[in-house]
Amino acid sequence: MQFQSFDAGYIESLCAGDHRTQDHFVGYFTALLQLKLRSRLQSPHAIEDVRQETFARVFAVLRKDGGLRQPERLGAFVNAVCNHVLFEHYRSSKGSESLDAEGRPELPAKGADVLDIVAARQMKHKVREILLELPERDRLLLKAVFLDERDRDEVCEEFGVERDYLRVLLHRAKQEFKTEYVKRIGTEASSGASSRRA
Amino acid sequence: MDHKEAIEKMTAERYLLDELAAEEREAFEEHLFDCPECALDLRAGAAFVDEAKVQLPELTATQPASAPARDAKPRPKPSHWLSWWRPVFAVPVFATMLLVIGYQNLVTYPGLRAEANQPRLLPMVSLHGATRGGNHIAVTADHKHGVALPLSLSQLSGTVPYASYSLDLVDPQGKIVWTGTVAAPPVGDGMVQPFSLAIPGAMLQNGAYSLTVTGVGQDGARSAVDKYDFDIRVTE
Repeated sequence: MQFQSFDAGYIESLCAGDHRTQDHFVGYFTALLQLKLRSRLQSPHAIEDVRQETFARVFAVLRKDGGLRQPERLGAFVNAVCNHVLFEHYRSSKGSESLDAEGRPELPAKGADVLDIVAARQMKHKVREILLELPERDRLLLKAVFLDERDRDEVCEEFGVERDYLRVLLHRAKQEFKTEYVKRIGTEASSGASSRRA
Repeated sequence: MDHKEAIEKMTAERYLLDELAAEEREAFEEHLFDCPECALDLRAGAAFVDEAKVQLPELTATQPASAPARDAKPRPKPSHWLSWWRPVFAVPVFATMLLVIGYQNLVTYPGLRAEANQPRLLPMVSLHGATRGGNHIAVTADHKHGVALPLSLSQLSGTVPYASYSLDLVDPQGKIVWTGTVAAPPVGDGMVQPFSLAIPGAMLQNGAYSLTVTGVGQDGARSAVDKYDFDIRVTE
Protein backbone atom coordinates (compact mmCIF):
# COMPACT_ATOMS: atom_id res chain seq x y z
CA MET A 1 0.00 0.00 0.00
CA GLN A 2 1.15 3.50 -0.72
CA PHE A 3 1.29 5.90 2.14
CA GLN A 4 0.99 9.63 1.92
CA SER A 5 4.05 11.59 2.98
CA PHE A 6 3.85 15.28 3.72
CA ASP A 7 6.33 17.60 2.15
CA ALA A 8 6.65 21.13 0.87
CA GLY A 9 4.83 20.23 -2.34
CA TYR A 10 1.89 18.84 -0.44
CA ILE A 11 1.61 21.97 1.68
CA GLU A 12 1.91 24.16 -1.37
CA SER A 13 -0.96 22.29 -3.06
CA LEU A 14 -2.98 22.49 0.12
CA CYS A 15 -2.53 26.22 0.44
CA ALA A 16 -3.19 26.73 -3.23
CA GLY A 17 -6.62 25.19 -2.81
CA ASP A 18 -6.02 21.96 -4.72
CA HIS A 19 -9.22 20.00 -4.11
CA ARG A 20 -7.69 16.55 -4.08
CA THR A 21 -5.04 17.61 -1.60
CA GLN A 22 -7.58 19.38 0.57
CA ASP A 23 -9.93 16.37 0.51
CA HIS A 24 -7.06 14.13 1.45
CA PHE A 25 -5.95 16.43 4.27
CA VAL A 26 -9.43 16.75 5.73
CA GLY A 27 -10.27 13.08 5.36
CA TYR A 28 -6.98 11.83 6.78
CA PHE A 29 -6.78 14.13 9.79
CA THR A 30 -10.51 14.10 10.54
CA ALA A 31 -10.27 10.36 11.16
CA LEU A 32 -7.29 10.78 13.48
CA LEU A 33 -8.75 13.75 15.31
CA GLN A 34 -12.02 11.92 15.90
CA LEU A 35 -10.15 8.95 17.37
CA LYS A 36 -8.17 11.29 19.59
CA LEU A 37 -11.10 13.44 20.67
CA ARG A 38 -13.78 10.81 21.28
CA SER A 39 -11.86 9.52 24.30
CA ARG A 40 -11.73 13.05 25.70
CA LEU A 41 -15.02 14.67 24.73
CA GLN A 42 -18.45 13.17 25.09
CA SER A 43 -20.38 15.43 22.78
CA PRO A 44 -20.20 15.06 18.98
CA HIS A 45 -20.70 18.81 18.77
CA ALA A 46 -17.70 19.44 20.99
CA ILE A 47 -15.61 17.05 18.91
CA GLU A 48 -16.65 18.84 15.74
CA ASP A 49 -15.94 22.27 17.29
CA VAL A 50 -12.43 21.26 18.26
CA ARG A 51 -11.80 19.63 14.90
CA GLN A 52 -12.89 22.67 12.93
CA GLU A 53 -10.93 25.05 15.14
CA THR A 54 -7.85 22.86 14.76
CA PHE A 55 -8.08 22.91 10.97
CA ALA A 56 -8.67 26.65 10.93
CA ARG A 57 -5.56 27.34 12.97
CA VAL A 58 -3.45 24.90 10.96
CA PHE A 59 -4.44 26.53 7.68
CA ALA A 60 -3.78 29.96 9.16
CA VAL A 61 -0.19 28.98 9.94
CA LEU A 62 0.39 27.13 6.67
CA ARG A 63 -0.66 30.17 4.61
CA LYS A 64 1.94 32.36 6.25
CA ASP A 65 5.33 32.59 4.59
CA GLY A 66 7.59 30.10 6.28
CA GLY A 67 4.72 29.12 8.51
CA LEU A 68 5.68 25.47 8.92
CA ARG A 69 9.44 25.05 8.90
CA GLN A 70 9.33 21.28 8.71
CA PRO A 71 6.67 20.21 6.20
CA GLU A 72 7.34 16.54 6.91
CA ARG A 73 6.15 17.16 10.47
CA LEU A 74 2.71 18.34 9.38
CA GLY A 75 1.05 15.50 11.28
CA ALA A 76 2.77 16.35 14.56
CA PHE A 77 1.85 20.02 14.00
CA VAL A 78 -1.84 19.18 13.58
CA ASN A 79 -1.72 17.09 16.77
CA ALA A 80 -0.04 19.91 18.70
CA VAL A 81 -2.59 22.48 17.52
CA CYS A 82 -5.40 20.11 18.51
CA ASN A 83 -3.91 19.79 21.99
CA HIS A 84 -3.93 23.57 22.39
CA VAL A 85 -7.50 23.88 21.16
CA LEU A 86 -8.55 21.08 23.47
CA PHE A 87 -6.92 22.77 26.44
CA GLU A 88 -8.71 26.01 25.66
CA HIS A 89 -11.95 24.11 25.24
CA TYR A 90 -11.59 22.55 28.68
CA ARG A 91 -10.94 25.94 30.22
CA SER A 92 -13.82 27.61 28.47
CA SER A 93 -16.32 24.87 29.24
CA LYS A 94 -15.11 24.64 32.88
CA GLY A 95 -14.89 20.86 32.81
CA SER A 96 -13.82 17.89 30.83
CA GLU A 97 -17.07 17.62 28.96
CA SER A 98 -18.59 19.97 26.53
CA LEU A 99 -22.31 20.47 26.96
CA ASP A 100 -24.50 20.47 23.93
CA ALA A 101 -25.91 23.94 23.39
CA GLU A 102 -29.63 23.78 22.93
CA GLY A 103 -30.94 25.08 19.72
CA ARG A 104 -27.68 24.58 17.96
CA PRO A 105 -28.27 23.22 14.51
CA GLU A 106 -27.30 19.64 13.93
CA LEU A 107 -24.35 19.07 11.67
CA PRO A 108 -25.52 18.26 8.21
CA ALA A 109 -25.07 14.60 7.37
CA LYS A 110 -22.43 14.00 4.80
CA GLY A 111 -23.87 12.47 1.72
CA ALA A 112 -22.62 9.02 0.87
CA ASP A 113 -22.16 8.01 -2.71
CA VAL A 114 -22.77 4.55 -4.11
CA LEU A 115 -19.17 3.50 -3.70
CA ASP A 116 -19.21 4.50 -0.04
CA ILE A 117 -22.36 2.46 0.53
CA VAL A 118 -20.93 -0.61 -1.19
CA ALA A 119 -17.65 -0.28 0.69
CA ALA A 120 -19.45 0.09 4.01
CA ARG A 121 -21.54 -2.99 3.26
CA GLN A 122 -18.41 -4.99 2.43
CA MET A 123 -16.78 -3.93 5.66
CA LYS A 124 -19.86 -4.93 7.66
CA HIS A 125 -19.78 -8.31 6.00
CA LYS A 126 -16.08 -8.72 6.76
CA VAL A 127 -16.54 -7.82 10.43
CA ARG A 128 -19.39 -10.31 10.70
CA GLU A 129 -17.26 -12.99 9.06
CA ILE A 130 -14.41 -12.37 11.50
CA LEU A 131 -16.72 -12.42 14.51
CA LEU A 132 -18.40 -15.66 13.41
CA GLU A 133 -15.03 -17.35 13.06
CA LEU A 134 -14.22 -16.60 16.69
CA PRO A 135 -15.14 -19.03 19.45
CA GLU A 136 -18.29 -18.06 21.32
CA ARG A 137 -16.24 -17.22 24.37
CA ASP A 138 -14.20 -14.65 22.44
CA ARG A 139 -17.35 -13.00 21.09
CA LEU A 140 -18.70 -12.71 24.59
CA LEU A 141 -15.37 -11.34 25.74
CA LEU A 142 -15.38 -8.61 23.08
CA LYS A 143 -18.97 -7.75 23.89
CA ALA A 144 -18.21 -7.46 27.58
CA VAL A 145 -15.27 -5.14 26.91
CA PHE A 146 -16.47 -2.94 24.07
CA LEU A 147 -20.25 -3.01 24.26
CA ASP A 148 -20.95 -3.49 27.94
CA GLU A 149 -17.86 -1.41 28.76
CA ARG A 150 -17.12 -3.47 31.83
CA ASP A 151 -13.91 -3.23 33.81
CA ARG A 152 -11.13 -5.00 31.88
CA ASP A 153 -9.62 -6.76 34.90
CA GLU A 154 -12.99 -7.98 36.05
CA VAL A 155 -13.82 -9.31 32.60
CA CYS A 156 -10.45 -11.06 32.24
CA GLU A 157 -10.84 -12.72 35.60
CA GLU A 158 -14.36 -13.85 34.79
CA PHE A 159 -13.31 -15.33 31.45
CA GLY A 160 -10.10 -16.77 32.86
CA VAL A 161 -7.80 -14.93 30.48
CA GLU A 162 -4.86 -12.58 30.80
CA ARG A 163 -4.97 -8.97 29.58
CA ASP A 164 -2.55 -9.95 26.87
CA TYR A 165 -5.05 -12.47 25.52
CA LEU A 166 -7.48 -9.64 24.96
CA ARG A 167 -4.86 -7.55 23.13
CA VAL A 168 -3.85 -10.46 20.90
CA LEU A 169 -7.50 -11.24 20.15
CA LEU A 170 -8.08 -7.67 19.07
CA HIS A 171 -4.81 -7.57 17.14
CA ARG A 172 -5.66 -10.67 15.09
CA ALA A 173 -9.17 -9.47 14.34
CA LYS A 174 -7.84 -6.07 13.34
CA GLN A 175 -5.19 -7.55 11.06
CA GLU A 176 -7.77 -9.68 9.29
CA PHE A 177 -10.09 -6.73 8.91
CA LYS A 178 -7.38 -4.38 7.71
CA THR A 179 -7.16 -5.95 4.25
CA GLU A 180 -10.79 -5.03 3.61
CA TYR A 181 -10.37 -1.66 5.24
CA VAL A 182 -7.37 -0.79 3.12
CA LYS A 183 -9.41 -1.41 -0.03
CA ARG A 184 -11.89 1.16 1.16
CA ILE A 185 -9.40 3.88 1.91
CA GLY A 186 -6.93 2.98 -0.83
CA THR A 187 -7.78 6.03 -2.89
CA GLU A 188 -7.07 8.30 0.07
CA ALA A 189 -3.48 7.13 0.23
CA SER A 190 -2.76 7.60 -3.43
CA SER A 191 -3.76 11.27 -3.63
CA GLY A 192 -1.53 14.21 -2.85
CA ALA A 193 1.74 15.51 -4.22
CA SER A 194 3.88 12.54 -3.34
CA SER A 195 3.58 9.12 -1.90
CA ARG A 196 5.85 6.39 -0.69
CA ARG A 197 5.35 2.67 -0.87
CA ALA A 198 5.03 0.82 2.42
CA MET B 1 7.67 6.88 21.01
CA ASP B 2 9.02 5.47 17.75
CA HIS B 3 7.33 3.13 15.31
CA LYS B 4 9.18 0.02 16.48
CA GLU B 5 8.19 0.63 20.08
CA ALA B 6 4.58 1.26 19.09
CA ILE B 7 4.40 -2.07 17.26
CA GLU B 8 6.27 -4.10 19.87
CA LYS B 9 4.10 -2.85 22.70
CA MET B 10 0.85 -3.37 20.72
CA THR B 11 0.12 0.25 21.47
CA ALA B 12 -2.72 0.55 18.95
CA GLU B 13 -4.57 -2.32 20.62
CA ARG B 14 -3.91 -0.88 24.05
CA TYR B 15 -5.13 2.51 22.83
CA LEU B 16 -8.38 0.97 21.64
CA LEU B 17 -8.74 -0.90 24.93
CA ASP B 18 -8.13 2.34 26.80
CA GLU B 19 -5.20 0.82 28.64
CA LEU B 20 -2.68 3.59 28.09
CA ALA B 21 -1.67 6.00 30.82
CA ALA B 22 -2.08 9.67 29.92
CA GLU B 23 1.59 10.22 29.07
CA GLU B 24 1.83 7.11 26.95
CA ARG B 25 -1.39 7.98 25.16
CA GLU B 26 -0.09 11.44 24.30
CA ALA B 27 3.23 10.03 23.13
CA PHE B 28 1.41 7.54 20.91
CA GLU B 29 -0.86 10.21 19.47
CA GLU B 30 2.16 12.40 18.68
CA HIS B 31 3.68 9.46 16.82
CA LEU B 32 0.38 8.54 15.22
CA PHE B 33 -0.10 11.87 13.50
CA ASP B 34 3.32 11.53 11.88
CA CYS B 35 3.20 7.81 11.06
CA PRO B 36 0.82 6.79 8.29
CA GLU B 37 1.27 3.09 9.06
CA CYS B 38 0.25 3.41 12.70
CA ALA B 39 -2.52 5.78 11.69
CA LEU B 40 -3.92 3.18 9.30
CA ASP B 41 -3.53 0.47 11.92
CA LEU B 42 -5.46 2.42 14.51
CA ARG B 43 -8.16 3.50 12.08
CA ALA B 44 -8.70 -0.10 10.98
CA GLY B 45 -8.85 -1.25 14.58
CA ALA B 46 -11.31 1.47 15.50
CA ALA B 47 -13.48 0.71 12.48
CA PHE B 48 -13.54 -2.96 13.41
CA VAL B 49 -14.49 -2.21 17.00
CA ASP B 50 -17.20 0.24 15.96
CA GLU B 51 -18.81 -2.26 13.61
CA ALA B 52 -18.34 -5.15 16.05
CA LYS B 53 -20.30 -3.19 18.66
CA VAL B 54 -23.19 -3.03 16.18
CA GLN B 55 -23.14 -6.74 15.35
CA LEU B 56 -22.20 -8.39 18.63
CA PRO B 57 -25.62 -8.06 20.28
CA GLU B 58 -27.17 -10.16 17.53
CA LEU B 59 -24.32 -12.67 17.41
CA THR B 60 -24.35 -13.22 21.16
CA ALA B 61 -28.11 -13.06 21.64
CA THR B 62 -28.52 -16.81 22.28
CA GLN B 63 -25.75 -16.87 24.84
CA PRO B 64 -25.77 -15.50 28.42
CA ALA B 65 -24.13 -12.12 28.87
CA SER B 66 -21.48 -13.48 31.22
CA ALA B 67 -18.70 -15.93 30.71
CA PRO B 68 -19.48 -19.59 30.12
CA ALA B 69 -19.69 -21.54 33.42
CA ARG B 70 -16.33 -22.30 34.94
CA ASP B 71 -17.12 -26.03 34.88
CA ALA B 72 -17.68 -25.88 31.15
CA LYS B 73 -14.43 -24.05 30.61
CA PRO B 74 -12.22 -26.38 28.66
CA ARG B 75 -9.32 -27.49 30.79
CA PRO B 76 -6.01 -26.78 29.25
CA LYS B 77 -4.70 -29.86 27.57
CA PRO B 78 -1.65 -30.99 29.50
CA SER B 79 1.49 -31.46 27.55
CA HIS B 80 2.52 -35.00 26.71
CA TRP B 81 5.55 -34.83 29.00
CA LEU B 82 3.63 -33.52 31.99
CA SER B 83 0.82 -36.06 31.57
CA TRP B 84 3.13 -38.73 33.01
CA TRP B 85 3.09 -36.85 36.33
CA ARG B 86 -0.63 -37.27 36.78
CA PRO B 87 -1.60 -39.29 39.86
CA VAL B 88 -2.95 -42.18 37.80
CA PHE B 89 0.58 -42.80 36.54
CA ALA B 90 2.74 -41.29 39.26
CA VAL B 91 1.25 -43.16 42.23
CA PRO B 92 1.85 -46.72 40.94
CA VAL B 93 5.34 -45.76 39.77
CA PHE B 94 6.31 -44.29 43.12
CA ALA B 95 4.77 -47.24 44.96
CA THR B 96 6.85 -49.65 42.89
CA MET B 97 9.98 -47.60 43.56
CA LEU B 98 9.31 -47.74 47.29
CA LEU B 99 8.87 -51.51 47.16
CA VAL B 100 12.16 -51.96 45.31
CA ILE B 101 14.05 -49.64 47.64
CA GLY B 102 12.54 -51.33 50.68
CA TYR B 103 13.42 -54.82 49.45
CA GLN B 104 16.98 -53.78 48.69
CA ASN B 105 17.48 -52.17 52.08
CA LEU B 106 15.76 -54.86 54.10
CA VAL B 107 16.71 -58.03 52.26
CA THR B 108 19.38 -57.68 49.60
CA TYR B 109 21.93 -55.45 51.27
CA PRO B 110 21.82 -57.16 54.67
CA GLY B 111 22.26 -60.47 52.91
CA LEU B 112 25.26 -59.25 51.02
CA ARG B 113 26.80 -57.71 54.14
CA ALA B 114 26.27 -60.93 56.07
CA GLU B 115 27.89 -62.93 53.33
CA ALA B 116 30.80 -60.53 53.12
CA ASN B 117 31.36 -60.68 56.86
CA GLN B 118 31.43 -64.47 56.99
CA PRO B 119 34.62 -66.52 56.64
CA ARG B 120 34.84 -68.22 53.27
CA LEU B 121 36.61 -71.23 51.94
CA LEU B 122 38.39 -70.60 48.69
CA PRO B 123 40.20 -73.09 46.53
CA MET B 124 43.85 -72.19 46.42
CA VAL B 125 46.21 -72.92 43.57
CA SER B 126 49.92 -72.22 43.73
CA LEU B 127 51.31 -70.49 40.69
CA HIS B 128 54.85 -70.99 39.43
CA GLY B 129 56.17 -67.73 38.20
CA ALA B 130 57.64 -67.63 34.76
CA THR B 131 58.81 -64.58 32.99
CA ARG B 132 59.51 -66.42 29.83
CA GLY B 133 56.43 -68.54 29.24
CA GLY B 134 56.45 -72.09 30.51
CA ASN B 135 53.67 -74.60 30.94
CA HIS B 136 50.38 -73.15 32.01
CA ILE B 137 49.01 -74.16 35.36
CA ALA B 138 45.41 -75.41 35.15
CA VAL B 139 43.12 -73.93 37.78
CA THR B 140 39.64 -75.28 38.40
CA ALA B 141 37.14 -72.91 39.98
CA ASP B 142 33.43 -72.19 40.08
CA HIS B 143 31.34 -69.06 39.81
CA LYS B 144 30.16 -69.31 43.39
CA HIS B 145 33.51 -69.36 45.15
CA GLY B 146 36.04 -67.95 42.71
CA VAL B 147 39.68 -68.80 43.30
CA ALA B 148 42.61 -67.59 45.42
CA LEU B 149 46.11 -67.48 43.94
CA PRO B 150 48.95 -67.28 46.48
CA LEU B 151 51.93 -65.19 45.53
CA SER B 152 55.22 -64.45 47.21
CA LEU B 153 57.15 -61.35 46.47
CA SER B 154 60.61 -60.68 47.81
CA GLN B 155 63.51 -58.36 47.20
CA LEU B 156 66.89 -59.99 47.23
CA SER B 157 69.90 -58.18 48.54
CA GLY B 158 71.94 -56.48 45.89
CA THR B 159 68.95 -55.84 43.68
CA VAL B 160 67.42 -52.47 42.95
CA PRO B 161 64.85 -51.90 45.69
CA TYR B 162 61.28 -51.27 44.61
CA ALA B 163 58.86 -49.06 46.46
CA SER B 164 55.88 -51.11 45.38
CA TYR B 165 54.65 -53.75 42.99
CA SER B 166 51.95 -53.30 40.40
CA LEU B 167 49.95 -56.34 39.37
CA ASP B 168 47.86 -56.70 36.21
CA LEU B 169 45.41 -59.52 35.61
CA VAL B 170 44.77 -60.20 31.91
CA ASP B 171 41.76 -62.25 30.80
CA PRO B 172 41.57 -64.76 27.90
CA GLN B 173 40.68 -61.88 25.54
CA GLY B 174 43.92 -60.10 26.39
CA LYS B 175 42.14 -57.35 28.29
CA ILE B 176 43.46 -56.10 31.63
CA VAL B 177 40.49 -56.78 33.92
CA TRP B 178 42.16 -55.82 37.17
CA THR B 179 45.15 -53.78 38.39
CA GLY B 180 46.41 -53.65 41.96
CA THR B 181 49.35 -52.21 43.87
CA VAL B 182 51.07 -53.62 46.92
CA ALA B 183 53.93 -52.21 48.99
CA ALA B 184 57.24 -53.93 48.39
CA PRO B 185 58.71 -55.98 51.27
CA PRO B 186 61.92 -54.81 52.92
CA VAL B 187 65.12 -55.63 51.12
CA GLY B 188 66.91 -58.64 52.42
CA ASP B 189 67.38 -62.30 51.80
CA GLY B 190 64.55 -64.30 53.21
CA MET B 191 62.33 -61.22 53.43
CA VAL B 192 59.20 -62.48 51.75
CA GLN B 193 55.87 -60.78 51.24
CA PRO B 194 53.27 -63.53 50.80
CA PHE B 195 49.74 -62.67 49.79
CA SER B 196 46.97 -64.19 47.74
CA LEU B 197 44.99 -62.77 44.90
CA ALA B 198 41.31 -63.69 45.29
CA ILE B 199 39.45 -63.63 41.98
CA PRO B 200 35.63 -63.55 42.41
CA GLY B 201 33.69 -66.28 40.66
CA ALA B 202 31.66 -63.77 38.65
CA MET B 203 34.83 -62.62 36.85
CA LEU B 204 35.98 -66.08 35.85
CA GLN B 205 35.64 -67.52 32.39
CA ASN B 206 37.24 -70.48 30.66
CA GLY B 207 40.58 -69.66 29.08
CA ALA B 208 44.15 -68.53 29.59
CA TYR B 209 44.88 -65.80 32.11
CA SER B 210 48.12 -64.12 33.02
CA LEU B 211 49.22 -62.12 36.02
CA THR B 212 52.15 -59.78 35.48
CA VAL B 213 54.12 -58.29 38.31
CA THR B 214 55.90 -54.98 37.74
CA GLY B 215 58.28 -53.38 40.21
CA VAL B 216 57.90 -49.64 40.73
CA GLY B 217 60.96 -47.77 41.94
CA GLN B 218 61.13 -44.76 44.22
CA ASP B 219 61.44 -42.58 41.15
CA GLY B 220 58.41 -44.22 39.50
CA ALA B 221 60.48 -46.25 37.09
CA ARG B 222 58.81 -49.53 36.19
CA SER B 223 60.42 -52.87 35.35
CA ALA B 224 59.02 -56.33 34.77
CA VAL B 225 59.49 -58.65 37.70
CA ASP B 226 57.46 -61.79 37.12
CA LYS B 227 54.64 -63.29 35.10
CA TYR B 228 52.23 -66.07 35.94
CA ASP B 229 50.31 -67.85 33.18
CA PHE B 230 47.44 -70.13 34.13
CA ASP B 231 44.33 -71.64 32.62
CA ILE B 232 40.99 -71.33 34.30
CA ARG B 233 38.42 -74.06 33.98
CA VAL B 234 35.07 -73.00 35.35
CA THR B 235 32.78 -75.55 36.87
CA GLU B 236 29.20 -74.82 37.96
